[in-house]
Amino acid sequence: MKILLVCSQGMSSAIVAKALQEAGTKAGYELDVNECGSQAFEAEVQRGYDAALVAPQIRHRFDGLEKSAKEAGIPIALIKPQGYTPIGGPKLLEQVKELLSL
Amino acid sequence: MFTKLSEFMDQKLSTPMAKLAEQRHLRAIRDGIIATLPIIIVSSMFMVIAFLPNSMPASWGITQFIKANQATILLPYRVSMYIMTLYAVFGMGYSLSKSYDLDGLSGGILAELCFLLTIIPTAIGAAPASVAELAQTNAELSTYLSTLPAGFVMPMANLGSAGMFIGILASFFAVEVYRFTQKSGFRISMPPQVPESVARSFESLTPTLIVFLVTATITMFLKVNVHGIIATIVKPLISGADSLPSVLLIVLLCQFFWSFGIHGWSIVGSLARPLWLVLLDQNTAAFAAGQALPTIASEPFYQWFVMIGGAGSTIGMAICLLLFSKSQYLKTLGKTAFLPAVFNINEPIIFGTPMVMNPTLMIPFIFAPIANSLIAWFATSAGLVNRVVATAPWTLPGPIGAFLATNSDWRAAVLSIVLITLSTLIYLPFFKMYDKQMLDEETKAN
Repeated sequence: MKILLVCSQGMSSAIVAKALQEAGTKAGYELDVNECGSQAFEAEVQRGYDAALVAPQIRHRFDGLEKSAKEAGIPIALIKPQGYTPIGGPKLLEQVKELLSL
Repeated sequence: MFTKLSEFMDQKLSTPMAKLAEQRHLRAIRDGIIATLPIIIVSSMFMVIAFLPNSMPASWGITQFIKANQATILLPYRVSMYIMTLYAVFGMGYSLSKSYDLDGLSGGILAELCFLLTIIPTAIGAAPASVAELAQTNAELSTYLSTLPAGFVMPMANLGSAGMFIGILASFFAVEVYRFTQKSGFRISMPPQVPESVARSFESLTPTLIVFLVTATITMFLKVNVHGIIATIVKPLISGADSLPSVLLIVLLCQFFWSFGIHGWSIVGSLARPLWLVLLDQNTAAFAAGQALPTIASEPFYQWFVMIGGAGSTIGMAICLLLFSKSQYLKTLGKTAFLPAVFNINEPIIFGTPMVMNPTLMIPFIFAPIANSLIAWFATSAGLVNRVVATAPWTLPGPIGAFLATNSDWRAAVLSIVLITLSTLIYLPFFKMYDKQMLDEETKAN
């Protein structure tokens, strides 16, 4: 399962990507989580992901990001604030499962 | 009650306001300028090296070597940060045309063309016979003549931040012409007998032709000094941005958005970054010329003296979390969030604590950067620390970044440490209140 996280510059999402990866491994899911900045998203999202997740602090850019995700044909969701922390991995995993109806 | 009010305000006020910053032209400016940041950061480091002799013992060999070759060491800076608008214009044209679903490369090139048509090259001819004759008897004149380049030269000053606003207007104009000709069908059309591929090659010439004709007519044939006119118009805007009231306004706006969990700096920066770049470049240019630095509040000022550890000067909060947490949750958060905070990444703290819509912590979240702004402004304008002159990578720990941004001024590192301590003290009482709330909840839950 390949998942793309996007934030302003791909810095904080790297921390959250690691948390999600760990939560996934613990729960027995094979996740491949990458991150990028919002400017790189349009190109990056084309590279065979199963889902995209948007950091809460750039929710004002959600519409534009959603358009790119739709063009790539993958579901996209806004990360709930509680899931966007280094210890919020399990919460974020719940959201991913919901999004992909696992 | 508070939650309802803040949700209402977020839906009706902060998110719609933040969406305004996503307007395609503002986004194009932001994208174009952000794309040049790596160039600006690396080129700043040449500046740091070239002026190292100021903070090294004069007797060292390396000091004397750098001093003797200073102009040469600065040459890479001259073709990078010194002419950064040239780079930004391409990015703006690219981003704006992409937003219209047009070809980004064509849009970027058209924007660059339009911008360069405002820079007038001049030809330097050979020295007249009488001057050449004089040079034979005057060694100084002869050396001077030999430094003059032959052929056409382009004045570089307006390719840098001085030309930023013309660069913005030029890229907007070029891309709008491009869009108009593509979407309206207003283009050179050929009779149906002409093969389609040939006809299409003519169609793509239309926007280029319009950009050429309109811009060259204004700047080259009518000789309107567009750079001079725009400089007069934006001058009050630029000097206004370099004042204490603007600093406080910018900090308040940034904290307002972050209090709702929206990336305030990226929004405020969309509007202010062109001005910050001009302010910083005025300092850099003055510095390279050995003059006094004219401006205080460009972006590195905020980065290293106001928003230490990220927006809200949350380095103070990070220290509280690490040292004073009694509740289990905040203790765990502190362990994972402290190190990113040292490198100015504070989303873990903002969303983890959370600071967002938190009535207790909102007070220091707004007040700590305000206190930093006031102290840093007065310390800088009183000359207690050097003014910022370079852009250091924003992920450096505060005191190191402050040291590099101010031409290796150790006093800036000290100021950074003082401000970190102050932020910690401002956060501490509110942190303790919140920690107690969390602890009470934890004991209740058990």
